[in-house]
Amino acid sequence: MAQSSTARKIDQAPILKEVKRPAFGGGEPPAPPVRSNPPIASNAWLAVFIFLGAEAMFFAGLIGAFLVFRVGSVIWPPPFQPRLPLGVTGFNTVLLLASAVTMRLALARTRAGDGAKAVRFLMLTASMGATFLLIQGYEWIELIHFGLTVSSSVYGGLFYTIIGFHALHVFGALVWLGIVYAKARRGRYSRRDCVGLQICALYWVFVVALWPVLYGFVYVY
Amino acid sequence: MLKRLYLATFSVSAALLAAPLSAMACTVCAGGASDATIEGYNASVLFLMATPYLVMGSIAGGIFFTYRRALKKRAQAEAAEEPIGELAWNQEESAR
Repeated sequence: MAQSSTARKIDQAPILKEVKRPAFGGGEPPAPPVRSNPPIASNAWLAVFIFLGAEAMFFAGLIGAFLVFRVGSVIWPPPFQPRLPLGVTGFNTVLLLASAVTMRLALARTRAGDGAKAVRFLMLTASMGATFLLIQGYEWIELIHFGLTVSSSVYGGLFYTIIGFHALHVFGALVWLGIVYAKARRGRYSRRDCVGLQICALYWVFVVALWPVLYGFVYVY
Repeated sequence: MLKRLYLATFSVSAALLAAPLSAMACTVCAGGASDATIEGYNASVLFLMATPYLVMGSIAGGIFFTYRRALKKRAQAEAAEEPIGELAWNQEESAR
């Protein structure tokens, strides 16, 4: 009688006459049946989480460098340097924060088994992220026209380094989101298996959460 | 061997004695106590000192809340499922 498994429920097993206890030396009875539990978090999630810790330290280094010059300067911004646009960037901040909400909603809809809505939320997230980058790009062009360049002063150098690295991260997250979106459209994520979407959402939320900190230090402070 | 060790110790001691009496402790100790640059460095040091705690706390918090959520989900799933029966050991099949 061919069976595909070596273990079965006793009440369903038709060949109980052949049942034997395994002899694992010492004749101890086998351990009681246990349910195989899934891990609480995937390895990929844990890896991205730790990677984000390293990313946070990288940005902390940049902010630390900024603080040396900002706190150490009596006049900030330095003379003959343009002021940074607070209003437009404030709107951009709200836009980016909203994209984190839609990202979380996409993840929640996927976990609820509603793939179609999740795809729509992913599209919305990507649109807001792309708009953020476009506004940032426009802002940079304006600032360069006003004379703020990387080499114009320490102020310019710090601004383009810190904000530029964040923009680079947003761009990377956007590319990743594009791949996740394409996979979600093909129905690759289900309520039980959505690790790819989960870690992308984690990265996206990190990039979004970082921005108000940078905005506060570089633009407002 | 011992002679060389004595010579090296003497050379290092002589070099230290010949060094200038006052020297900068580090490359960033460039100003006085009230200098704004020093305040900047102090602020930066404090920020960088606090950040690792924040980062490690976030990682620990994230893992803790994920663990709690997973436990809750597992308990719900187990409550919904029927209990599994006792497993039987079949020597014929396990020997293959």
